Order: sequence, then structure tokens, then C-alpha cells
Amino acid sequence: MKPIRILLADDHNLLRDGLRLLLERQPDFTVVAEASDGREAVRMVEEHRPDVAVMDIAMPLLNGIEATKQIVDRYPPTAVIMLSMHHDESYIIRALNAGARGYLLKDSLKADLIGAVKSVSQGHSYFSLKIRTLLQEDYFRQMADKQKTDSLELLTARESEILQLAAEGRSNKDIANLLNLSFHTVETHRAHILQKLNLHTVPELILYAVRKGIIH
Amino acid sequence: MILTVQVLRNDSNQAATVFFAGQNTVSKGCHRPPVMCNPEELHIMRRHPWLALAGGFGGLLLIMAAAQLGTLFMINGLRNSSHQAEQRFLERSRILEEIRSSIYLSGTVARDSLLAPTGGAPSELAEVNRLHQQTNAALAEYRKSLEPEESAPFASLRSEIEGYWQVLNRTFAWTDSERKQFRYEFFYSELVPRRTAMLQIADRVGQLNERVLLRGDEQVARLFERLRMVLMGMLVLTLIGGLALAVYTSVTILRLQDQVRARLEENIEAKKSLRELSAKLLRAQEEERRALSRELHDEAGQSFSAILLETENLLDTEHGSAAIPHLLSIRNLAQRGMAETRNMALLLRPSMLDDFGLVPALNWQAKETAKRTGLKVQMSAAELPRDLPEEHKTCIYRVVQEALNNVVRHAQASAAHVRLQWQDERINLMVQDDGTGFDAERVRGLGLLGMEERVHHLGGVFTVDSHPGRGTLLTIQLPVAELSAEVRDTKYETNPHPISRRS
Repeated sequence: MKPIRILLADDHNLLRDGLRLLLERQPDFTVVAEASDGREAVRMVEEHRPDVAVMDIAMPLLNGIEATKQIVDRYPPTAVIMLSMHHDESYIIRALNAGARGYLLKDSLKADLIGAVKSVSQGHSYFSLKIRTLLQEDYFRQMADKQKTDSLELLTARESEILQLAAEGRSNKDIANLLNLSFHTVETHRAHILQKLNLHTVPELILYAVRKGIIH
Repeated sequence: MILTVQVLRNDSNQAATVFFAGQNTVSKGCHRPPVMCNPEELHIMRRHPWLALAGGFGGLLLIMAAAQLGTLFMINGLRNSSHQAEQRFLERSRILEEIRSSIYLSGTVARDSLLAPTGGAPSELAEVNRLHQQTNAALAEYRKSLEPEESAPFASLRSEIEGYWQVLNRTFAWTDSERKQFRYEFFYSELVPRRTAMLQIADRVGQLNERVLLRGDEQVARLFERLRMVLMGMLVLTLIGGLALAVYTSVTILRLQDQVRARLEENIEAKKSLRELSAKLLRAQEEERRALSRELHDEAGQSFSAILLETENLLDTEHGSAAIPHLLSIRNLAQRGMAETRNMALLLRPSMLDDFGLVPALNWQAKETAKRTGLKVQMSAAELPRDLPEEHKTCIYRVVQEALNNVVRHAQASAAHVRLQWQDERINLMVQDDGTGFDAERVRGLGLLGMEERVHHLGGVFTVDSHPGRGTLLTIQLPVAELSAEVRDTKYETNPHPISRRS
């Protein structure tokens, strides 16, 4: 099996060393390059075309979010995992908007990093367990405050199914193949889902799914 | 200190006052900052301008009253002396007239006696004697008020009269024949010339008397002249006094006005600089918080995460080792340290404020407050159409933070609503709660004052509407149209890549 090629971008040498140690203990992982700022990360991606870029959100010269935008824009096959100390929604949503596929908290790297690399290399999303828990808690609190019914109940069974697949990062084409539906039908379902849940973008859909515990 | 105050109060020595004023009395002597207390001011304060003014006006009034009284007295005196002179003239004229008529009459009596066929009758002699007595009495009376220039003619008049009486008396001793023989000769060569001479002398004395009257008139005129001079003098004196008083008053008023204006300006200046200082302090505080927050996050936080990772790596390799419990404990500590560092950094100044802007920071704040305190915080904050200057962002964020803090601490509310709107180049912010409320007219805590200060500094309006039992509505309006160079100049240095760490 072809090893997963990884780029590490963090301005903290110690942390980078630790990450490398952690990742390289996996037999099918190989760290092909390291970068200590955003610009270097973009350059390294261009040079090495890794499968996964593990990137700190706060870096000098060019921050992780901007670097992710450039990487996703220019080298779409490279999946980006964002590392951050922040579990606030604004950071997560911006990372997702920039095109990151995973978002990990720095206080649970050991537990999450391996799974996240595997997950995003297969085209799925990945969030730290803590993030998932926090987002869900937030959601329930908001629900309780507003005393609203669970919007998920608005969805049909087929729509819920498609929501999960979409939130996992699958394209409409994949979903159509998986569920034996026409591409057009999946598109229509997806539009309905967004409308019913009052969502507008794919990152919002992903966050929603995380909050509801639909994806991990 | 007591010593110096005494010196200030009693001392007439300016130098000493200045010295002490320049030293340590300023803080005690007058309750103002030292700059406003100059020696000149002390000097004036000590001399009481109102005393000088009262003295000036009083003096002027006294001069005028004295002038009037003096004039009255002088006019009175003039009238009296004029009247006396006239009386004297008339009296003397009357006496002279009496003398003249006595002499005339005696001449007539003597002539009748001489011309009578028989000798002089004793009645005629008695009549002449009576006239003689009367003349003597008149002369004696006239002599009482004799002017020096009159003394020579008066003496000759007297001797002439005396001679006249002797000659006249002699005729009464004549025999009839003697009378017949000498009477005509005597009459024409003795009596008439003597009488004429006497009358001439009397006329001269009368002229002198008139001259004395004239001289009295002159004296009156001189007195009038003196009165005029005195009046003129008084007038000039009054004018000078009035002028001096007017000048002094004007100078004093102008100086007081200047002082008042200067003090007003000083006050305005002081207020302005105080405000500037407080704004500067706020900015410095914010800058420091930001730096601390970043430092905590970037340095301490990253170190904790590195420790954490290293520990976990070790845990992976040390299967069954005795060090494992320690490693687990280290991992635990590092995790806790990291969480604490992050929380501290966020509380100091949430990184979203610099990284993504106001609304994400407000959302975080609302969520954080809700999580920490159980207060239901509804945040209705539309994304703002354009970037706000740093100071505006900070101001709104800190106001919301403080307002929510107040709600949690004092209001006993169950829910709060924060609404942020952009309207007509203004930002409207409202923070409303359903708590117990307070008397907004009277209660002004430090928190409210701080918020107000921040808002006023940016030219905004800050209002608190609250009544006991009816919750609190806090409103601020910030103008954003005037985001001119002035405001932009004062904003913080912004990081071109907000989330980037300083290298």
C-alpha cells in the first residue's frame, strides 16, 4: 500500500518534532516535508505534493488559514488538517471556509491526529472529539434557549442519509452512485436540506452535522 | 505647613510669599493643581480689590460732599461780608451827614444870632452847644471804624471843626457894638470859608467812605474768585480721583476677567488632557492585554502543547514502565496548563477580535457568559458591512463585556439581549436585560463611567435606561462616518495577517 505523504507546518520546532515522531510511528505514514511559516508551507506543498498537510493556525508571515486557502485553491488533492488551540466556532468555520478538511485541538493531538490523517486522506472530514462535544453542547443550549423543535426532524429519511454523506465530504456524484440515485435527484435533495436547515454553504452543513452528532 | 500658611496670611513681603508659594504652600494654600497658583494671584487675593474699590468710591463721595459744604459756607460768608460792608457804608454816610447837617445848622443859628438886633439869645447859644455836642459824638462814633487811609483827612476835619466851634463860640461873647462892627466881616471871611472848608473835608471823608465800600466790593469779588478757584480745584480733584478710580476699576476688572478666562482655559485644557490621558491609558491597557494574550497563546500555550505531545510519545514507547503514572500525571498537568493559558488569553482579549473582527468576538463573549453563568444571552449581531477601526471594535467589545458582567453581577436577570446594528453610518448597540434594574439617575458605578468614557471618546452617545423592577436598557450610538485620518491615526498597529504569530 502506498504510504500517506504528509507535510508538517508549525513554527514551533519542538512541537513539529513531536508530531513527526508521532506520525512516523505509523507504518503507512511518511512525513515528506516540514515548514515553519505559511509561505514555506505553500512552497513545500508545491514542491512535494503531499496527500495531507498538517498545519498550525497561527504562523508567522502567512497564517494557517490563508495558507490553506492557497493550497486548496492551487493543489486540490492535498487535504489540510488545521491545528489550533481555539475551539471557538469562528475559528472552525473560517478554517472550513478556507477549505480545511480537519480541525484538531492541540490538547488532544495524540488521540486525534492519526485518525484525522487517515480520514481526510480518504476524502472525509475530521474534528477533535472535544470540538464535536462542544459544538453539540452549544447546539443543545441554543435549542433549549429558543425552545425550538429539533430541525433534524424536518428532514426525511433519505435527506438525512444524504446529509450525512455530504457532510462527510462526498460529492454529489459519489452520493448518487452509493444510493443508486440520479445525480439530479441528489442535487435536489441537497438543495432541500440546505433550505430546511437554513444553511448556505458546505462548511455550515458540515458544522451542522457535527453539532448534531451525525458525523465524527 | 502651619508656618507657611501664617506667612501667607500676614506677610506683606512679596518675595517671601512668592518663595513659599513656589515651594510647598501651593497644594495647601489653594486647592488647585500647582500650575494655577501663581504669586500674582496670591497677591491680589490678599489685597482684596473690593476694599480698594470701596475706599476709592467713598473717597470720591467725601471729596464731593466736602466741596459742596465748603461752597455753601463760602457763599454764606460772602453774602454776610457784602451785607456788612454795605451796612457800614450806610452808617458812616449817615454819621457824616449828621456832622454836615450839625455844622450847617450851627452856621445858620450863628448867622441868625449875629443878625438879630439884640445880642445872642441864650437859647441860640444852647442850640449851638447841643450841636457841638452832637458833632463831637458823631465824630467819636465815626472814629471807631476809621480806616487807616482816612485818619489824616479825619484829623484835619476834627481840628477844622474844633476851630470852627471856637470861632463860633467867640461870637456869642461879643457886645452889641462888636457884633455890629464885625458881624458881616466875620460872616463872610470866617464863618463861610470855614464852613466850606469843613464841608469839603467832610466830602473827602465821604469819598473815602465810598472808596472803602468799593474796597469791600473788591473784597467780595476776591472772595468770589477764591471760591471759584476752590470750586475748580475740587472739580479737578474730583475728576482726577474719579479718573483714577475708573482706571483702577477697569484694570482690576480686566485683570479679574483675564484671570477668569485663563482659569477657564486651564480648566478646559486640564479636562481635555485628562480625557486624552484616560484614552491613552485605555489604549495602552488594551495594547498590553493584546500583547499578553498573544504571548500567552503563542509561547506558553505552544510550550504546553509540545510538552503534551512529547509526553504522549513517551507514553507510546514506555509500555509497562514504572514511569507511566508520572507521564500520565504530566500529560494531565500539561492539558490543564494549556486550557488555563488559553482561557486567560481569551479573557484578557479574545483573539477573534483581532483575527476575525467584532462579531465573532461578541458571539464568543455571549456563549462564554452563557456557559459560565447560565444567563441566556441572545446575540443579534449582523456582520458589519465594513471593517471598523480598532478603537471602535475594542470600545464595543469592552462595553458589551462590561454590560454583561454588570447583568450577571447585579441584575439577577435570566436573559440578556445584545443587538448590534449598522444604520446610517452609525453603529447602534443595545444591551437589554430582564433583571431587577436600578435607579439610573442616581447610581453610576465605575463600570458605567468607564463605558461612558470609552463611548464619549469616540464621539458617541451613551444612555442607560433603568428603573427598579423594570430591567435595564443600555444604548450606545457610535458615529462611524467620521472615520477620518484622525481616528485611523490613533488606532493600533494592525497585524497584516491577524492570526499570524510575530516571528
